[in-house]
Amino acid sequence: MTTRASSPPTCAAFRQLPPGMLQPDAVHRLVLGEDDAVRVLSAEEAAAELGDPFATHLLLRGVFPRTAGDVLTALDRATPVGHPLREELVFLLGEGSQLPTGAATAAVDRRLRFLVTRGVGAEGADVLLSAAHPGSGDVELMAWDRRAGGFNFYQSVGDSTAWVFAGNSRHALRGPSQGRGPFESHLSGTVVMKELRSPWLHWHSQAANVLPSVLPADPPLVGHPWVTARNPQGADICELAVARPGIDRWTRARFKRLVEAGVVDDPGRVLVQVLDTPSVNIIASNRESRDVVAGGPLVLPQTFFVDSEALTEVLGLPAPPRFAVAAETYLRSLRTFDVHQEDDDGARYAGDAHFAFAVPERAFEDQAVLRQALATGLLSDRLAACLLMVDFPNPVFSPRRAALLAHVPPRARISDGSSDLPDAMADAILAAAPDTPAGSPEREFAELWDDVASLGDRLRAYYAAVTGRLGSPTGFDDYVRLADSRRRRVRQMPVSESSLLFARTNVPPRERRMTADGTVVEV
Amino acid sequence: MPILTRYDTPARLPEPTDGHRDAWSSRVGGIVAALTAEHPQFFDPTAGEVGSDVQAPVVAWTAFPATLLEDATSEEQRWAAADASRDVQDEYCEWSVERDDEGVVTRVTFTTEVPEYFHHLARDPDRLLATYRELVGPDVRPEDLVVDGRYQPRNVHNRSTTGRLAHLVQDSNTLEAALRLAAQATVLREDADGHPVTSAMALVRCGRLGDHRRNSDPQIAAAVNDAAATGAEISLQDPVGIYIDRLVIGGMETPDHEDPGTFWTVERGDAQHVLRASYAVPPDRPYRVGDITVAGRPIRFGAQLADRVSVRLTALVRPADHRPERRPCTG
Repeated sequence: MTTRASSPPTCAAFRQLPPGMLQPDAVHRLVLGEDDAVRVLSAEEAAAELGDPFATHLLLRGVFPRTAGDVLTALDRATPVGHPLREELVFLLGEGSQLPTGAATAAVDRRLRFLVTRGVGAEGADVLLSAAHPGSGDVELMAWDRRAGGFNFYQSVGDSTAWVFAGNSRHALRGPSQGRGPFESHLSGTVVMKELRSPWLHWHSQAANVLPSVLPADPPLVGHPWVTARNPQGADICELAVARPGIDRWTRARFKRLVEAGVVDDPGRVLVQVLDTPSVNIIASNRESRDVVAGGPLVLPQTFFVDSEALTEVLGLPAPPRFAVAAETYLRSLRTFDVHQEDDDGARYAGDAHFAFAVPERAFEDQAVLRQALATGLLSDRLAACLLMVDFPNPVFSPRRAALLAHVPPRARISDGSSDLPDAMADAILAAAPDTPAGSPEREFAELWDDVASLGDRLRAYYAAVTGRLGSPTGFDDYVRLADSRRRRVRQMPVSESSLLFARTNVPPRERRMTADGTVVEV
Repeated sequence: MPILTRYDTPARLPEPTDGHRDAWSSRVGGIVAALTAEHPQFFDPTAGEVGSDVQAPVVAWTAFPATLLEDATSEEQRWAAADASRDVQDEYCEWSVERDDEGVVTRVTFTTEVPEYFHHLARDPDRLLATYRELVGPDVRPEDLVVDGRYQPRNVHNRSTTGRLAHLVQDSNTLEAALRLAAQATVLREDADGHPVTSAMALVRCGRLGDHRRNSDPQIAAAVNDAAATGAEISLQDPVGIYIDRLVIGGMETPDHEDPGTFWTVERGDAQHVLRASYAVPPDRPYRVGDITVAGRPIRFGAQLADRVSVRLTALVRPADHRPERRPCTG
């Protein structure tokens, strides 16, 4: 069966496939950008392309589960007792999961959904599926392909037993399939856990339980194995057992190919994850916004102010201090800026997100790329440090840093733990700098390159300036405005799937950037 | 669920006689009795049939102290702070680190054994000494443990973060504290405006239920409180105790690509009720714990593993028809 799919280039394409276009009990292929029509894969084609355990244990053996729960039951039937694919972890999240219960929120769509994993080991999970309910037929599934490397992405649609293969991690990085289908949000082809770190805003976690009282009643979930005894597990387990190792797994596999080839044909695809902001994670203070009371400090996320994950944890530059604001100043800002949440139906809920001051930070998948680029020698410490120190007060959404992508060489050679890219790229920027205007990113890079010893002092001076600004209400108000600008940028990104992702304010929608003296300017 | 005739020892550790078993049960029962008298939705599972419709939700959290996260400036800074003192290891799990002559980590030992059990052991000084020698080493002397007839929990063998620890000593890490928290969290709260207080940290602050910055207290409180709001009755599952749930090995890498989980050894308890576990490389392998990496960084602190150790308790939730009224905050 070959059927044309007149579809948008997003995951909605799969949800919009009419059931008549799909053949029950069959695996189809629709890699958006590569296939212009959904088609059934023959047994030979499927066996050649799909080497992951979901395919080899089920699809290639003629087992086509209808629902999320059926997938798990089928995996149990297909594997012996004690097999890793029988080891299950269940997680729960929802952007509205922490809205208070009561009459005002009785009808709110909390966007609750489960992530269920099987086969978790030191490299993460072999099978991950996402569904709103065990009985749901709309299942997104990823499974690690040990033969080809990378995750295979699948989607089931409605009540059909048809499955659609939507691509492999490598499709996220090449050709017209980049940014399409599942790779619209899985931008580099790997696991996405937006709220990756403590306090895991929106996830059931040790920091904030998703309480049984908010679980859907129709169909009922209370008493289901996904929500009883040890389930759902905390987001801390998901972060450490599933997300981080899963992201690292694909990143290592991706760089292994580059190293084996000895030539990187498109180093810009790597550098965009170092210099630009293709994706983000979301971080917040560890304090419930409702728990912030006058008299104490509110500690703000470090990575709002500086990319300490890269600059300190990877490159060894000075760590930032604790950035804190007086609770009174934060509470006053909630009133000044009319901070509130708003759901997809436009209903308002006064106050900040469940954890105070949620903001975007550099995505872990991009940090993983930086670490692998350094480990394989594609980047040198000096080049990475000087690149990331350009416009360092803006760890995300920096057009100045992104402008340096113009100097990435078209190809790079890599062998024996080093490559010709660091010299080539640095030389290109240094050569271009004299012909650029004063204050250009190229000139800033050249200044840093010639005075690497000053990097620590530059950071320390900035840390002192920010600390000083946080001591005044007007200084903090500027940071609230900056945070709002960054949140607005994220709302335009595919990872933003709900109005409840961030709190909203009355701050005028303008671009803003931080400067090295800790002040915020409108662009 | 069968009728519980007495509280078993943590992880059902063996006791020499029924009298010893009864003594432990009485110790726990005494704590529970005081709490049930004060909190009608907290029940004593030895007082009658528990019922067949009882649920047993697990509440789990990370061993690394959340109280250190807020002030952390870097990963290394927070790891060093957590390894520096047992007094900051306040998540009902404590650990100690052994190093070789080069200062490289060779073993990290974690415990969730409550001090109450060692006071129970101290009724028989010979048994206490034998247990210490088993857990800590052969050099333990009776006078190290008992002074003027009283057991000293913070003795020379059990107060530092180096070597082999015996049991929990941080002030908040007691069985009584966990039971008291669970009982007090059955009280529903409302703020000054009459709005229900249900979120974890706010609930802990409102009801003065512990430290709102910890991983453990707010989560236990919120889970219990949500169940209590349905009218249910709450207790802790027998064998009552705090248990090590697991070591998460995701992102760990050994030099010879051996499964990093194989070096995790349960030393006390059983697979379902782990009271003590350690992480060490067997001597037949040519590397040490410090040669293993976590997220690409060699293990230099016990806290790097504490990040990955989860701890749990199991509640009992028995459906009932209480109609609790919300009370104002006390904190």
